[in-house]
This record gives sequence, C-alpha cells and structure tokens, in this order.
Amino acid sequence: MERFGVGYLEERKLVERWPQPIPAIVALVLTLVVFYATWWIFQDPRGWMRMYTPYVGYMYTRWWLIMLIWMVYIFNYWPFKRSWLENTHPIIKGVVLTAISVVILLVLIKGFFESLLGNYGIAYFNPGNLMKLPKMTEFFALEYASLACLMFAAIASWLSPAWVVACEEVPWQDMNQPGKGISILVMTFFLSTLVFFMTMHSHMGILYYPWQYFTSIAPPYWEQFANTVSGNFHVSWIMCCTVTVWLVETIWERFPFKLIQTNWLRRVVAFFGIIAIAWGMHFFLYFAQELTWGPAIRGTRLINAPDWRWLHVGEMAVFFLVPALFLNFYCGNWPRRFSLPVNVLVRTAITIAAAILLYIFYYATSHDFLGTQKGFMHEQQFPMIPTIWLINIWLAHHWFMDNWPAWKMVPKTADEIAQDHAAAQAKVAEIRWNPALGWGLGVGAVCGVAFYFIVLSILPWAYRSITVIK
Amino acid sequence: MSEDKTKISRRDFFRGAAMGVLGGTALGMGLFSYSPWSKEYLPKVGRKLADIGTCKSVKVTNISETSWFENAVLMGDIKGAGGLLVNQYSYNWPPFGDGTGLGKGTYESGVTKIRKFLPNNLEEAWAIAEKLAVHPENAGGFACLVELEELDGTKRKFLLDSGWSYKWMDECFKREGIDQMLKRREIEAIIVTHEHFDHFWGIPVTYKYDPTITTYIPEGFYPEGMQYLKDAGHRGQLIKVKPGLNPIIPGLATFVFAVPIICRVYGEQSIYANVKDHGLVSITGCCHQGIIQFAETAFKEVKYENDQLYGIYGGLHISPFEDWDPKYDDLVLSLGKYGFKKIGCNHCTGLLCAKKFVEGGYPVIKGTARYRTKETNYLGNGDKIGFGIEV
Repeated sequence: MERFGVGYLEERKLVERWPQPIPAIVALVLTLVVFYATWWIFQDPRGWMRMYTPYVGYMYTRWWLIMLIWMVYIFNYWPFKRSWLENTHPIIKGVVLTAISVVILLVLIKGFFESLLGNYGIAYFNPGNLMKLPKMTEFFALEYASLACLMFAAIASWLSPAWVVACEEVPWQDMNQPGKGISILVMTFFLSTLVFFMTMHSHMGILYYPWQYFTSIAPPYWEQFANTVSGNFHVSWIMCCTVTVWLVETIWERFPFKLIQTNWLRRVVAFFGIIAIAWGMHFFLYFAQELTWGPAIRGTRLINAPDWRWLHVGEMAVFFLVPALFLNFYCGNWPRRFSLPVNVLVRTAITIAAAILLYIFYYATSHDFLGTQKGFMHEQQFPMIPTIWLINIWLAHHWFMDNWPAWKMVPKTADEIAQDHAAAQAKVAEIRWNPALGWGLGVGAVCGVAFYFIVLSILPWAYRSITVIK
Repeated sequence: MSEDKTKISRRDFFRGAAMGVLGGTALGMGLFSYSPWSKEYLPKVGRKLADIGTCKSVKVTNISETSWFENAVLMGDIKGAGGLLVNQYSYNWPPFGDGTGLGKGTYESGVTKIRKFLPNNLEEAWAIAEKLAVHPENAGGFACLVELEELDGTKRKFLLDSGWSYKWMDECFKREGIDQMLKRREIEAIIVTHEHFDHFWGIPVTYKYDPTITTYIPEGFYPEGMQYLKDAGHRGQLIKVKPGLNPIIPGLATFVFAVPIICRVYGEQSIYANVKDHGLVSITGCCHQGIIQFAETAFKEVKYENDQLYGIYGGLHISPFEDWDPKYDDLVLSLGKYGFKKIGCNHCTGLLCAKKFVEGGYPVIKGTARYRTKETNYLGNGDKIGFGIEV
C-alpha cells in the first residue's frame, strides 16, 4: 500500500552537514535571501509586482500558508509517492511542490472565492460584483474582496492544523489518502465557514452603507465587550489560536495535552485548551499595549484605536511564532536534554525573549528595507505580511526541501523510528503524579502568577527605557 | 537508596515547577488581563493644561477642499502604481510628470522639467506637467484661510496648505482674493499640514505671490519635500515644527503628530484655536491622527475656554477615497460624546461619513456645493465658517 507522505516528517532523519550553529546560520541566511528577493518581486511597494496594496498581498500571503498546511499536514504530500519524496533532490522537490501550492492557491482564490462564492453566494468575495455598488472604485472593490478572503484565511489557518495537532485527524486517522485529506479539508472548511459567519460576516455587513441589518448582525454582538464594531477583535484571538497550535506542535511537542492517556479526552482538551491559551494571550497582549501606550480610545485612529490594538495582538502573536519555528526547524528543538516540561519551559523562555528582540528589531529597522514606513501603527501596514511571508518560506524549506543544503535527509530505519517512539513515551511516562510533582506544581504556579504580575509592573518602565523608533 | 529517592523527588519537583510556571502565567494572562481589576494598573491620565492664550473669534474661508475631482481616476492611478504604500513622488502625477508613465517617476526627474519656471511662470510649468504627467486634469487641492481676531480686535491671517494643481489653486486664490492678500503681505505665514500631494505640491502658487512668507512644516518631511521647498522658490523663514504643541500667537497653536501616512508621508500638523467664551476649535488639513485623537490630545495638553471642545473645520480623514471600514463607525458613534457645537467638514472626511454625521444629529454646518464641491453636507469651496463670529 502506497503511503505517500504519511509520517514522512517524523520518519525522516535530517543530518547536519556541519556542526551547529553553522547549519542554522546557513539556513537563516539562505532563507532571508529568498525572503528578500521574493519580497521585492511580489510585495515591496517599490518593487516589481507591488502586491502589498496592502490587502491583495496580505490575502495571498495568508492563503499560501494554508496551502502549505493542506499539502503537508492534511494531504500528507499526496499524490507524491514516498519514494519520490525520499529520492528526489530537495531543489526539484522545492520547486515542484511550491509551484503546486501556488497553483492551488490561485485556483482557490480565483476559482472558489471569486468565481463560485462571489458569483453564486456572497457578493463581497467578488470584486466585480462589488463594483456594482454606487461610488465603488476598482481599487477598493479588490481590497474589500481580498479582506473578506483573508479573514477567512485567518480562521482556516487555525482550524486546518488544529484538526491534525489537537484532534489527531479523528475520525479519519486510519483512512488512506486522498480520502483522509478530503475528509479533513471538508470538515475544517465547514468549521471555518461557521466561524467566519459568526465572527467576520458582521464586519463585512457594516462595511457597506447602509448597514446590512437583514443579512448580518449589525451592530455586531461583540461591540460592548471589545469596545469596537470591527472584526479585528476576532482576528486577534483567532491569530492567537493559530500561533498556539504551532507552539503546541513544535516547541511544546504537544505537551501538556499528550500527558492525557484517554484518546477522546486528550483530543477534546487539546482543541479547547489551545483556544483557552490563545484567549489568555489575546487578553494579555491587549493589556500589554494599554500598559505601554495608555488605554485605547474608541473612535481614534492609529495607535490608540481599539480595533487596531486587537489587530496588533494578532501581529504580536506572530512575532512569537517566528523564533519558535526557527528553534524547531533549524536548531533541533533545543534543548532536549531535560525532562519534557523543563525543555518546554526553556524553549518558551527562549521564544519569548527572541520574539521581543525581533519585535524591537522589526520596528526599529523594517522601514529601511521593506519599502514601508516607520511607526508602530500605519493604517495600511501589516507586519503579519512579512512575518508570515518568512514563515511560508521556512515551511517550504523545511517541509519541501528537507532544510537543504545544510542538512541531508536520510530515511530513518524501522529501529530508529521505534526508538524515537519509545523515547517519546518514556518522556511522558516520567511525569507521574507524586507529592514532589504536586509541590513543584504548586510552587511553580505561584511563581508563574508572580512572574505575570512582575511583568505587568515592569512593562511600562521597560517601554519607556527602550527607544524602538527614533 | 534514600539518595536516589531524593534525586528523583528533586527532578519531579522541577518537572512540576516547570508545568506550574507555564500554567500560572497562562492563568494570570487569561483571568486578570481583561478584568475590571486590570484597570488599576493603567497609567493615570494627567492634564498639562498648557496656556495658549485666547482669541476673540476665528473665521475660516474654504479656498478649496476638492483635492481631486474624480475619485475613481485617483484610485485607478493608485491601483495601477501599486497601492497605498507607494511613494507619492513616483506616481508621475503633476507637477512631477516625466513622461515615463504611472508609478515610474521620481521627484528629481519630474522637477527637472519645471524647475526653471518656479514660482513665477506657473502657467508654463503646469502646461509641461499636463503633457508629461498622469491625469493632470484630476488634480485640485486643499487650502483654507484662517482669520483670527485677537482680543484687542487685531486681525491675523494664516494660510493652511496650498493645494495641488497650480492652475486650479491659482484660480481659487484669485476667486477668494488670496493672491492680493499674499501680495500685500497680509498673510503672515503658511502652515503646511503635511507633505501629501494635494496639500503641499501647490506651494509654488503661494510663493508666486509671496516668496518670503514664513512657512511652518511638521517634522518628518522626506528629502524630496525639503528640496521642493527650495525649488519652489521659497526665500522666507522655514520653521520645522517638532512633534507636540507649538504656540504661534495668543489663541492659536499647532500640534504636530509623528504619524506615518499613506503614499509615504510622515507627520501631520493641525491647528488649535482657543476662542474666548466659546471653547477650542480644531482646524485640520487631513487630520490623519484622527479627530478624536486630536480632541483627546487637546484634553490632555491644552487649557481651553469653558473646557469645551467647540468647533471643527477641515478634512477629518475618515473615508478620503469614499471607502469604508467598521472602525470609521466607531468614530461616528463616538464623536457625539465630545460635544462639539459646530462641525464644518469636507475634503477627506468622506461624503458618506458627512452623511452619517448628519443622520447622527451632529451639528454639521452645511455648505453651498459651489465651485465643484459635490454635496451640501460638506462646507464647500468658497464657503466660510465662523467660531465666535457669524459669517
């Protein structure tokens, strides 16, 4: 039975060609070169295609991410055979698979959203239909349609991997491809559609005059709680969900949910646990902005506007994803020598520190090389575009190209795979309830809460002490 | 054996502690951050109450609010050039047309064609721009005259911005008598709100009549803009205003906001006028900082009569391209609580927004829709508004 790419990522051994940190540096430099070249070609407002209009480029960036997830996590590289994945040169694999992801991306945007949904369902997915509105310009028709598509993408970028990471592909985990992929795709797309209608449709409904009372809830139900009628409130927690899914999958190795032995309970707790952690992040990152920039004021533009603050929560969350993925893809998920919880704690601490440094670096310098302007807030600038663009390149490099050239892919032997499983199970088995663990848990929880309040106290001071934008 | 047990216990303790730290932090984040108690951590808002003095009245004459005449044409250019983040000097819009087409120009290649005609032969300069630039017929401009009466009755005049098209702005200046006021040096300064094409590129029209006029610009102009001030023939004092409050005369100050703006522009300057017995009047070019931000800044920074936000004149930058976003509704819904008594809006406020203001019952002063202004919800070209004075 052909397995296509089922288990390919776990069953490949990436052998470093040189001692660390050389491979990590090579990968970083190489991917940054590709990032900048492609940024100039596709996105840069000074460059060739100038898709950073902003929403057109934003939409393609977000959906490309999902295409990569679909191809690898949902369809397990189907229809490519395992032997092709194992024996083809990484450059050829990278070119072929990336080209396919782009073709699917175009079919989805132009075929599904614009032509099918936009012509036979919801007008705002089709710029041509939006042009029928009085005074609508071609530019904003395209921007609005792109906005609707990218809001859908935000949801799909959370639910698509969540069904694999949290729900472990249930109930189709034992099904062959492409049946499994199609089933998960249909399920996650259906859920994305539901969430879209409940979170984003009202945003689109009040985008047009008069408010579309009879087709969407206007004003939306979240107005009082979120202090805005903008759907950015939902973009915020949904982006936090996306980031949390990947943190759980990469630097957390599905901890702590993997400690739960009962299958159905683990999957349910993982799915809703990810949402709970994401809501914690959602509230905290909003609060962090209030601590540094002052309370949000409804109706203002720019940095004090609640809608932008919520959006910026999602943007800040993605800054955490960048170092987490780098640590996982190029640094062997360092460290691995301690117990699972300690490894996770150390990696999380590294990720937080690196994300803060990246955030400062981005806002201090990005206007010098991305064709953008300085400032935390610009109504037409979205740091999620370059950060997700870089992540997409890393995903293509890691998933399609086996980290070439600094790593060489060697399929693991059956013994090695068995050893890996045994080692992973042993790590989980180490964590058993006993008084020492209980004491540790209690003391740790108190320290965690104390750490949280210490952060609240020092954040305003830290922000005042660091000049990010001169 | 007992040593082993101790070792194992210590490891278990650290495992538990690591889990506890992660859990405790997440718990704090989730339960406290958006709770009512979290508000205790927020910085208290203090009022500086800077005294900018008072004036008797302020009158604003709208010289031109029609920055461009066909929104679809402008947006078509923006779309074709690559969107809202593209450098405005590369659009190949007039007067910096170089004949290479949309999105391919530069300041230097454009100004080279017209430099020798600035500022005295603007007809010739504009004729060249009409041949080489993209959609020169669509260019209009924003400018207004601010006349302030001091408490002793002395009248002071300031120009706010100088529009875009040389041809259109010269016509508008003549229509409102601005050309003669400039020639007679009655206008003591031009306050440039920001570097955008529709507010700043018509600066040679002002310098044609008074090249020595004092010019206030907000900090943040790009090198092209700084060079244009020289190329346009300015020979007077240039004052680069830093972010913050900048009192000019008793009762009138500008405030500069360090904000990034579309089409690669940075920094915006707006006017506060404190009218005796009435309150504070906000006069804006585009108000990219947002009118509520401008009002909140006034509350924090400035002392004003009766603690009353009295009036607004100008572009409020809500839907400049007749676009919309739910956050604009946040503004429309929130503006009422600030209690403005007179609102004269136009330009980048957006016709739809003005309509929503009227529907919301706000005190919008209607205009006459003359000289190519499209609707009466705007205080249009040639219209006047008075604060502390009837016009």
